[in-house]
Order: sequence, then C-alpha cells, then structure tokens
Amino acid sequence: MLPQILPKDKLADFARFLMGEYRLAAPVAKGHQFAFEFIETPEDVGRIRMDYDITILPPKKFLHPMYEELLRFGGRDPATGEAPIQAEPTVILGAHPYDLHAIATTDAAMRAEPADPYYATKRDATLLIGINIRGYVNDEQFMADMRTTEPPEGGWDLFMTDLGDRYYVEVGSDAGSKLHQAAGMFTQAAGDDHKAKQAFDNEKASNLPKRLPYDTRYLPELMSESYDSLLWDAVARRCFSCGTCTNVCPTCYCFDVQDKLNLDAASGVRRRQWDSCQLHTFAEVAGGENFREHRSSRLRHRMFRKGKFIYEQTGKPGCVGCGRCSVHCVADISILEAYQQIADEAAVSAMEIAAAREESQ
Amino acid sequence: MAESKPTISFHDFTSCEGCQLQVLNCEDELLDILGAVDIVEFREAIDDKADSYDVAFIEGAFTRESDRKRLETIRSKAGIVVALGACACTGGLNVLKNFRGLEKSMKTVYGDSADWYETSQALPVEAAIKVDYKVHGCPIPRQEFLEVVTSLLAGRTPRIPDHPVCVECKLRENECLYHKSQYCMGPLARAGCDAWCPSYGGRCYACRGLISDPNNQAAFDVLEEFGLTIDDVLTEFRLFNGVYDVSQPPTEARVEKQ
Ligand code: SF4
Ligand code: SF4
Ligand code: SF4
Ligand code: SF4
Ligand code: SF4
Repeated sequence: MLPQILPKDKLADFARFLMGEYRLAAPVAKGHQFAFEFIETPEDVGRIRMDYDITILPPKKFLHPMYEELLRFGGRDPATGEAPIQAEPTVILGAHPYDLHAIATTDAAMRAEPADPYYATKRDATLLIGINIRGYVNDEQFMADMRTTEPPEGGWDLFMTDLGDRYYVEVGSDAGSKLHQAAGMFTQAAGDDHKAKQAFDNEKASNLPKRLPYDTRYLPELMSESYDSLLWDAVARRCFSCGTCTNVCPTCYCFDVQDKLNLDAASGVRRRQWDSCQLHTFAEVAGGENFREHRSSRLRHRMFRKGKFIYEQTGKPGCVGCGRCSVHCVADISILEAYQQIADEAAVSAMEIAAAREESQ
Repeated sequence: MAESKPTISFHDFTSCEGCQLQVLNCEDELLDILGAVDIVEFREAIDDKADSYDVAFIEGAFTRESDRKRLETIRSKAGIVVALGACACTGGLNVLKNFRGLEKSMKTVYGDSADWYETSQALPVEAAIKVDYKVHGCPIPRQEFLEVVTSLLAGRTPRIPDHPVCVECKLRENECLYHKSQYCMGPLARAGCDAWCPSYGGRCYACRGLISDPNNQAAFDVLEEFGLTIDDVLTEFRLFNGVYDVSQPPTEARVEKQ
C-alpha cells in the first residue's frame, strides 16, 4: 500500500466526504488550547485545525467516554435490563503519533479477552487518521524516549504528513486504502514527494531529542528500585490529589460504575464515569479501609502504572510521553522530572543497600 | 396507600432561600416527587403542623442562639435530617460576619436599629444538631437534591462526591483558569456541581465546601507562587469555608467532621 498525496486545498472536501459516511471527530480550537470535537455541519469543517499543538483531552474520549451508559433497567427484575452496546461508524481525524500509540495501549487493555464490549464495539467502528508532528510543543514532552514519535506498527488507517502545499498520506490498513480510493482526491506519491517526506523526517528528528538520562528499557527496573525513595513524599507535598493528571492521560482507563435511580426507586440507569487513582476515594473499600490512603502512595502508584505496570501487562508503553499530565497539573508536578530523578534515587538506594550489607558482615 | 408515603419537610433559617428555589426549579421531576412523598411543611407556613417527618431538609445557617430550640425540635421530630445548601452545611457566606466582627456587621446592615436584632456567630446547622446528610452548594445543584431524595426513598446512602471540582472540570475539557493566569479553588473544592463556575468562565470559590482531605499546604504554596499574599489566600478560603480552621498550620487531617 503505497503512500498517497492529498493536495492541501482538498482537505475540506475530504472532511466533507468523510462526514457523508461517518461521524467525524477532529481537532478544533478551544480558547487558547485545542480539543477533539465532532464536526457537525459542513460549515464547521473550516474549524478543523490540523496544525494544533496538543489537545486537552486525548481522543480516547470517543472510545471510552467520560460518562457512558452501561445498562437501563425498568425495575429489580433482570429481564427489564437493556445494555445499549452500540457504536456509530466514526473517523477520528488528526491524531498525533503518541495518541495512536496510546490507543494501541488502551486496545491492549480493553480489547484483550474478556474484552470490554462497550469499548470494543466503538473501537471496531472507528477509523483512525493520524497527522504527523514536527517536534515538541512544550518542555514536558519526551516522546523520543518513549519511542512514540512515529505511528505504531498497526492499528491506524491513514497517516498524514504536512508537506506545505500537500499531505503525504501513508496507508496503514485495507480500510484506509478503501477510504482514500473512495474519496477519489488522492494520487500516488512520486519521487519528489518521497524526498520531501525524508527531509521532513530529518528535520523532525532533530526537533525531538531524548530528554531522559537513560534508555527507557531501564525505566521499569529503575522504578522498582526507587519504590522506597523519599522523592514521592517530597513531590506529593504539592499534590492536590485532584485527578487531572490521569483524566488528561491518553493511556489511563480507570472508571467507576454507579446506578442512578429514578424517583420510583426501582428503575434507572447504570453509568460509568472516568475515575482516578489520585482521588482518595479510589482505593477505599467497604468498611472504610483505604489501600492507598496517603497521597504520596497514590502519586507513586500513578508513576509506577505509567513507567512499569502497564508496560509489563500489555507490552505497550504505559506512558507515551505526551506531557499532558504535567502541563495540566496546577501544582506543576512533572512526570518527566520524576523519571529524570529516579536514576539518581535508585543509585542512592543501591549504595545504601551495599553499605548495609557491608555493615552486617 | 396514600398514607404510607414518606413525609418530608423544609425549614428555613438564615439564608437567601435560593436553595428552596432550586428545589422548585426541579420542574421535570417535581410532579414525580409529589407523587412519591408528602410534603408536610414548606417554609414553616403553618408552625408545627406535623408531628413527625421522615426527612427534614434544613436550609440556612444557625446564626441566632434562639434558633437552637427550633433546630432541636426539628431534630426530635425527624428521622433523617438533611442540611440543604452552603448556609446550612458550612454556614455559607454568613460566616464572613464572624471575621468582620458581629457588632460591625450589625451596624452595617441595620444601622441605628442594630440593637433591636439578635445575632451570634454564623455556624453550620450541625453546630446545633446532628445532621445526617448534606446537599452542598450555593445554591445547591438540582441533580444532587434529586440524588438525595431518590436514594433516601430507595433506602440507600446518597452518593455525594468527595473529590475536587477539577475532576468535573477536566471531564468537561475546560481550559484551566491557571492556564489563563487566574486562580481557582477547584483543587480543594467538593465536586458535584459539574464544575459550574469554571465552565462559564468564573473561578471556583468552593461554595460546596472542601473535600475531606484537602492539601492546604499545596494550596498555600501554589497560590503564593501565583502571587497571592497569605491574606489573599485566607480570604479565598473564608468566603465559603470560614468555619474550617484553615489558618492553622497545614495538616492532612480531615477538616470536615463527617
Ligand atoms: S499530580 Fe498534579 S494533576 Fe495529578 S493529582 Fe497531583 S496535583 Fe493533581
Ligand atoms: S503519564 Fe503523562 S506524559 Fe505519560 S502518557 Fe500520560 S499524560 Fe502523557
Ligand atoms: S446556600 Fe446560597 S443559595 Fe442556598 S440559601 Fe444559602 S446563600 Fe442562598
Ligand atoms: S479551572 Fe479550576 S476547577 Fe478547573 S481544572 Fe483549573 S483549577 Fe481545577
Ligand atoms: S465551581 Fe466551585 S464555586 Fe462554582 S458551584 Fe461549583 S463548587 Fe461552587
């Protein structure tokens, strides 16, 4: 499946074509920032901003919505229950490579058997069209370290690179191939186009230096060794446990399930809503016991989820280095900074262990 | 079966009555509520009409010592007492007068007639009687009033959020006020209003009270870095949460005794 070219002035036509067949979600301006939104009318196509820096919430919100109805029930009899598992065919246009990686991570968690039917149904009905990045857009990003500057091996359909007057469009799946053929505005890329793409890639690489002092293959082990570090307490002194860092994170997928009853006290809906391991109620269980009562243990838990556990469970990066958690933290708590510091923390604890061993001999 | 419907009552203390207005604003649900319960008292139209209430909703702060008796009477007649709104839950804005000084506040409001009126420190209802549940907010969000009514009808504990407003704010994908060079009490304030104020461009004043484990130290640090003085920070805390001892050295202890 060879790369294609879409002239830039045809983007609006392409978006309108997509709207004929699918629900279209794309990045638009939200104040001084950006958000993915559904493009409802042909006029709204003009609001699409393929040059956005980063969105507040990642595109996971379309696959795993903030609030989602799981069940409607008419009464206590299970026969009155009805699960609205359904999905409209959807295209998410303009996902950055790190967000495509993050979707691969949530896929690995939510589509693995037993799959989450609500997520899987939406995911099956969704096509992903990515857009390339040129470099970092803030100091909190470290995609180069997390190897998420290029799209993942699979799981996406088309991937566009802005070459000035045209998009260089790579084809990632049969569905993507059918899509550009049906649109009828694409032509096959020629020598000049490939050359321009290579120049783009070279410049992009120079804009994306690594920001961690070590290779991320050592991250899980460094995390383990810094488990008892005082770093977590020090950072948590500033932490509000507000959950913003997990809510904006593209690889977080925790949710809480609640029944909302109607006034007849029998019928109602079962809903799920994003939850966060940073909230003090998260690990509270019946009887009032709380497994992560202290905010430092909650903060450490998040860093471990991102740097170790998810990777070990799914083989996909638990953190894609997008920097959202740090940019949106009102206390300026930075995951990049923490990951930078643990190399020293782990070395200190290794030294202490060696000293203790010597002493006991 | 009509006589077996649960009875509920509404009582007024020092408030603007905005919260009872919110109850009346539940237009879509009001008929269903009236079908499910008997409202035996509303705004004390007839004094001591009913002998008992299954659920008594109390609006307003406890600001006159002479109100203690009335509160105790309500408590003795009620199965469940629910504090309705910021005034009843935390004393609300009324608490500001405690910081200004009672005499000065009375003079400002009543001028020469100040002596004719009785007042004391503004306090939450639970300073006088035991409160079972609280519907927070100034005014209360309608959906939370409905959650409390439906839960009590179903015989289960209402789910009142105990996490910060930031959660709802992020779920609405708002641009954070801190990114717009403004500050906000959202990280300490109790959610449940669907981040009302930040969603319409205003900052959160924590009218729904504080979460049960606010990080006051972080608040002082962050707001100070933001350019606020200690007085500014205290003013921010006191607007709706003056009853909490936030001026004390920071602690992670639960400030709100449940
Ligand atoms: S790290 Fe920041 S965003 Fe996350 S819970 Fe703490 S204060 Fe909130
Ligand atoms: S942990 Fe932070 S940097 Fe990593 S993927 Fe999540 S939001 Fe992005
Ligand atoms: S909480 Fe606010 S709206 Fe409700 S009664 Fe008090 S002042 Fe009025
Ligand atoms: S605007 Fe306020 S409530 Fe919203 S995220 Fe920022 S601090 Fe939290
Ligand atoms: S955002 Fe804050 S001030 Fe506004 S209604 Fe909610 S809790 Fe009250």
